[in-house]
Amino acid sequence: MNAHEQFADDLALYALGTLQGDERAVLEAHLNGCAECRGELERLRGDSALLAFSVSGPRPPSRSRSRLMEAVAREPRRQEIRETKAERSRWRTWFSAFEWAGAAAALIVVLLLVRQNDQLQRQLSQARGTSASQEAQLQQAKQLVDSLTSPDAVRYVLVAGKTPPQPQGKAIYVAKSGTLVFLANNLPALPPQKVYELWLIPSSGAPIPAGLFRPNAQGSAAVVKPQLPVGVEAKTFAITVEPEAGSAAPTSQPIMVGTQG
Amino acid sequence: MSHAASEVVTTDAMLVSAIRAGDQGAMAQLYDRYSGVVYSVALRVLGETGAAEDILQEVFMQLWRSPDVFDANRGSLPGWLAVIARNRAIDALRKRRPEDEISEVVVSVEPDLVQSVEWNRALEKIRGAMGNMPVPQRSALEMSFFQGLTHQEIAEKTGEPLGTIKTRIRAGLLALRKACSR
Repeated sequence: MNAHEQFADDLALYALGTLQGDERAVLEAHLNGCAECRGELERLRGDSALLAFSVSGPRPPSRSRSRLMEAVAREPRRQEIRETKAERSRWRTWFSAFEWAGAAAALIVVLLLVRQNDQLQRQLSQARGTSASQEAQLQQAKQLVDSLTSPDAVRYVLVAGKTPPQPQGKAIYVAKSGTLVFLANNLPALPPQKVYELWLIPSSGAPIPAGLFRPNAQGSAAVVKPQLPVGVEAKTFAITVEPEAGSAAPTSQPIMVGTQG
Repeated sequence: MSHAASEVVTTDAMLVSAIRAGDQGAMAQLYDRYSGVVYSVALRVLGETGAAEDILQEVFMQLWRSPDVFDANRGSLPGWLAVIARNRAIDALRKRRPEDEISEVVVSVEPDLVQSVEWNRALEKIRGAMGNMPVPQRSALEMSFFQGLTHQEIAEKTGEPLGTIKTRIRAGLLALRKACSR
């Protein structure tokens, strides 16, 4: 039995949205790497649509049409809404932040899933071992995406002086889960044997180390899910230049400090 | 729903493009074309006209707000509307938050029956295939689709093995596909 045959029945249940738990997680991992099964999933959804078409019933009442068209008239399309210059600017800033975060999250998810797929193939060849580790990785990826899109996520924008191009950092932080994603660009190159260190500045108490990083040749860097205590309310975030092994407490003045945005 | 070829002068893709540009008339045309399918499936799942009307409103408003979630190059609009309506109705029935991201739901109906002059004949084939299905198979398929039951829940209700339920559901869907491809 090949992998496609093995997943055939589960694929039908997945198309109907009724596959749950481990079986669902394992199938989703397979779908990420299998275009053939994704195609079959679309066809199975089409088959289920046939089932929907087979239903005969009364026409919707005429009030439904009026209700819809009134709602449509009340809700002009987004592109028709005239945005003020300030609103456009704010939107672009937010879009940029989400674009970055989305790209980072997508990269992480892809890496996790590729790794997961490799593991899955090995497991299949060994007559399907446990899927617990894949499940955990999927959960990790899901948690990260949930954090990035959580209404509880507080975003900080870190800026430096006025010299162009202006270094910029964005930190997205969920205190209750201790989840942090930090992205930066236009950072100056570091002196030899030095590293940038990100600090969580709590509402009270000493700064907490939140990850070491070096920018690439373009001045971009990221810190994703560093080890942080859970439930610490952040006043802000800051960056210092530290010895390459990092420091337990800042040894220099911050070069960038966050403002909550 | 009528599907004579002469009435489908404006394709679904053209109407969706017009909706993207904010054309309310295009929205009305699509509603007239497919509200019957959406309402029927929602009513079948929920069994209550008020709740079915809410699903009808929700599905079409979703299309109005985000027409880009449907990609005409990747699937059939009536198929997509029917599947989204069914999924939202099941969510309402089971009092849970929507589980799927609608932009990720692609529904391939081959051939594109709804815009075909063969629609009425295709409908007969679908209903014929359902009628010819062994009762346990049809029952498993309907419990899964119209009630949103998992194969475990169906197995508990029927006392049949889990594997048997899974196989019946898939075989049922494939039987519908086969009936319409002839």
